[in-house]
Amino acid sequence: MEGKQELAYFILKRIAVSLLVILGTIVIVFLISHYLSRDPAALWAGPKARPSTIAAVIKRYGLNEPIWVQLYDFIKDFFTGNFGTDPVTGLSISSEVFFYFPNTIELVLTSLLIIILSGVGLGYVAAINFGTRKDAIIRIIYTAAWASPTFLVSILAVIVFSSYLPLFPSSGMYSPTIIPPARITGMFILDSLIGLNFGDFVDGIYHLILPAFTLAFLNFGIITRISRNGILGVKWLPYVKSARARGLDEKRVNRHHILRNGLIESNTVIAVMFGWLVTGDVIVEEIFSWPGIGKFAYSAISGDDYPVLIFIVITFTILVIAANLIADIMYAALDPRIRLGGSE
Amino acid sequence: MKSSVIAIIVVVIALILIASAVGIYVVDHNNTAAKTTPQTLVVEESQYPDSLDPAVTFTTPGWEIMNQVYQGLVAPNGTSETTFVPVLATNWSISSNGMNYTFYLRHNVTFSNGDPFNAYVMWFSLYRTMTMNQAPEFILGQNMATNNTATNNTFNITPTILNQINYTSPNSTDIQIMGNVKQSVQVVNPYELTIHLGYGYNGYLPFNQFLMTLTTPMAAAVDPIVVEANGGVVAGQTNQYMSGNAIGTGFYKISAIVPSQSITLVENQNYWGKNLPQNQLNDAISPPHIKYVAIEYKPASAIISDLKGGKAQIVEAPVTDYSTLNAIKGITVKLLPIQFGSSQNSYFVYMDQLNSSFENIDVRMAVTYAINYTGIINSVYGGHAVQWIGPVPPGFEYYNQTISGLSPYNYDPALAAQDLNKAGYRSVLPNQTVLKGIRFPTLNFLYDSDSSSQISAAQIIQQNLAAIGINVTLKGLPFPTYTSVVFGLASNSTQYPIGINFYTEDYSASIDYVSALADGYYNGTSDYYNSTVFNWSVNASTSFNDTAIAQNLTYITHAMYANYSMAWLYVPYFMSVNANDVTGMIPNTAGSGAGYFMYYNTVQFT
Repeated sequence: MEGKQELAYFILKRIAVSLLVILGTIVIVFLISHYLSRDPAALWAGPKARPSTIAAVIKRYGLNEPIWVQLYDFIKDFFTGNFGTDPVTGLSISSEVFFYFPNTIELVLTSLLIIILSGVGLGYVAAINFGTRKDAIIRIIYTAAWASPTFLVSILAVIVFSSYLPLFPSSGMYSPTIIPPARITGMFILDSLIGLNFGDFVDGIYHLILPAFTLAFLNFGIITRISRNGILGVKWLPYVKSARARGLDEKRVNRHHILRNGLIESNTVIAVMFGWLVTGDVIVEEIFSWPGIGKFAYSAISGDDYPVLIFIVITFTILVIAANLIADIMYAALDPRIRLGGSE
Repeated sequence: MKSSVIAIIVVVIALILIASAVGIYVVDHNNTAAKTTPQTLVVEESQYPDSLDPAVTFTTPGWEIMNQVYQGLVAPNGTSETTFVPVLATNWSISSNGMNYTFYLRHNVTFSNGDPFNAYVMWFSLYRTMTMNQAPEFILGQNMATNNTATNNTFNITPTILNQINYTSPNSTDIQIMGNVKQSVQVVNPYELTIHLGYGYNGYLPFNQFLMTLTTPMAAAVDPIVVEANGGVVAGQTNQYMSGNAIGTGFYKISAIVPSQSITLVENQNYWGKNLPQNQLNDAISPPHIKYVAIEYKPASAIISDLKGGKAQIVEAPVTDYSTLNAIKGITVKLLPIQFGSSQNSYFVYMDQLNSSFENIDVRMAVTYAINYTGIINSVYGGHAVQWIGPVPPGFEYYNQTISGLSPYNYDPALAAQDLNKAGYRSVLPNQTVLKGIRFPTLNFLYDSDSSSQISAAQIIQQNLAAIGINVTLKGLPFPTYTSVVFGLASNSTQYPIGINFYTEDYSASIDYVSALADGYYNGTSDYYNSTVFNWSVNASTSFNDTAIAQNLTYITHAMYANYSMAWLYVPYFMSVNANDVTGMIPNTAGSGAGYFMYYNTVQFT
């Protein structure tokens, strides 16, 4: 009971701090973007815009107000759910984010699944075969993958698997002639399944494979390394030796005594990695023309579209905070020895 | 059963399912592709449209979609940029003074949703564009306006009026408003419309390129029922629904939009043009041959990959990729006549004459002769560009007349150094002899940091200028910011007194370039203004006499040439790139389809 109360207090405290972090993020991003974009009206009005057009943009977005007034209005609008119109595309900002964000989640979740399967599996194999050639090969692979530039791997993936071996489409989320199913989750393959449209589902999977594996390839290394280290950390502990001494089967020792305890750290990193992948897949989305939040963020940055940019940064912030919170909770739940807040 | 075993079984089953599904799809996809290839034309390019609202979009990809979905009163006649064919009009007449254009409209035209088209709809559409007042509005705003309250107050079309009128069955008040003869757009009867020029910022003057301005999306027919059901018209503002949806009278309609990824067009089953007899059809209104046109927006690496893999039939690519594309089998790559390059990018180095460094013509001469034009063309474009003398761009009407007796500026570093020294500055001759004087101040040199060709050219120009004693600091800005400087108001460019600039057409006419580059408004980056040149520009845009137009444009060209107002750089060629079995593209500089043709309805492939 005491543990549950402690957990609830911990979560509440984190949520309160998170709100402050979100507020701080809004202020910082707003001020930075305003400083960097000294004449957003000219940019948003478009090239060759007449002075009257620029004046209309200034009026519409309150750009002639002092920056503190603009900031106050922005925060007020944000917390009252009025996210406004994207000054570059003319579309509703919330509709844009709610379109792009699930697409990123679809890509990231698939990558994460691949990362978990390959990372944990290879980490386990490497640790069990510590010091052997297998271990060395796995370490070389994950180090090389981890060190590879994202743009290079992505472009090579397109060239190799779409051009020379035309196995997969070079880009896109699904074939352009498909009329997308009704948006329920916003994730194309899931919505296709829900709508029992298996043709679309397969098409979605077909388009997902290359970017998802590329993103996974670039990031599985960290999970492999942490899994390997975690397993090595418990491999020679007394309770494992004791299990062996009791005559338990080696496979059983590996799975039940080593693997389970050795993966505690990996589990928490996986949660953090989710946030990491969401915020870090911009280049992959750009090269694979994946219509996700990363690609959208890229276009917002290059277009000085800071109302959109702030919204995206806040979305990222919320996601990273949530991922970290989940990681902390998982860590505490998986390892009863750990006390939240560090106090006894 | 233990949880780990269950997990393994689930994963294995999932993997098998996925692998099977992919296998089935690949087989099915290949078969489907073979069966349906002629049904779907795949076009690939790099930039997603800025908007799907014809009153807002101001980019080539945006206009590409507009030209298939929306229609206006007239269109360019095939490859011609000076003659026109009827689209939503059946014919038209022009008053003797060139101030009144009367259009006789087609009957039985409908939007793809079945809503009717008539003169009231056209009245609404033109005023909507002007009321929204977005960046490209000036194309109409030169000659038309929503009011003349500042002069004699004969009309004032407000958003309230636009939103209140019933365009299907207007009442007498509505008809009275739309029928007012003293306004820019007048409904004469449900199928007759007169446009009265003279209310726009050009003043009470005719405009010899007026029909060309009507071929742009700004003058397309928009369904008032759709607009009114989705927020109506608001002055100075875009419309969220119209920015993301497109319902027009055209031969295609939009079947799917994946923002940032693709837009797919499908044949408009209700297309009015299907009911016309063959002898009344023209290229701008014929029903399409291909059912689907899928336009995908991809990075260059994916475009080239898809072209090699036969996954794309038409692509848009920069001329710097000419050799790479030419090496792909089954692909036709053509360098189009230079006017297609002109319509995209006509480059020059601007020198802000309001900046004290460039007030002196000797300095401008020094910069002009310091640049190695041929070196840049060969190094950056592999020779696939031509030097030009502006402001009329090469290949456009009157270009050859305007440059008669002139040669493009030449690379002469010795002359450049002497000119710089003549202006009182320290300079360096090619033999490293230093001519004494005060040191030229270091200036910011602007370029587009998103353009690899501009980056290379800027670096070469920096070296060229340094060689004679002018040091510049390269300042790259991302394309949107860069364009807000070079196509913005003069005050935007004060911190960048010199840099690379370019002009791209708003509508396909020499006067568009001339009025922009020679009359001191958009050329804020050079701040060149001469009242005599301005008057010649007015003469060139208002005359209907070819000789007089050519003469005035020639005066302007020679005046700007002698003033060294800009160092005219080069115009890169534009390429058409398509699979060998694709035919029917009709090149026109007014076109945006893959950057060079108007309409996909004429395209065919086997």
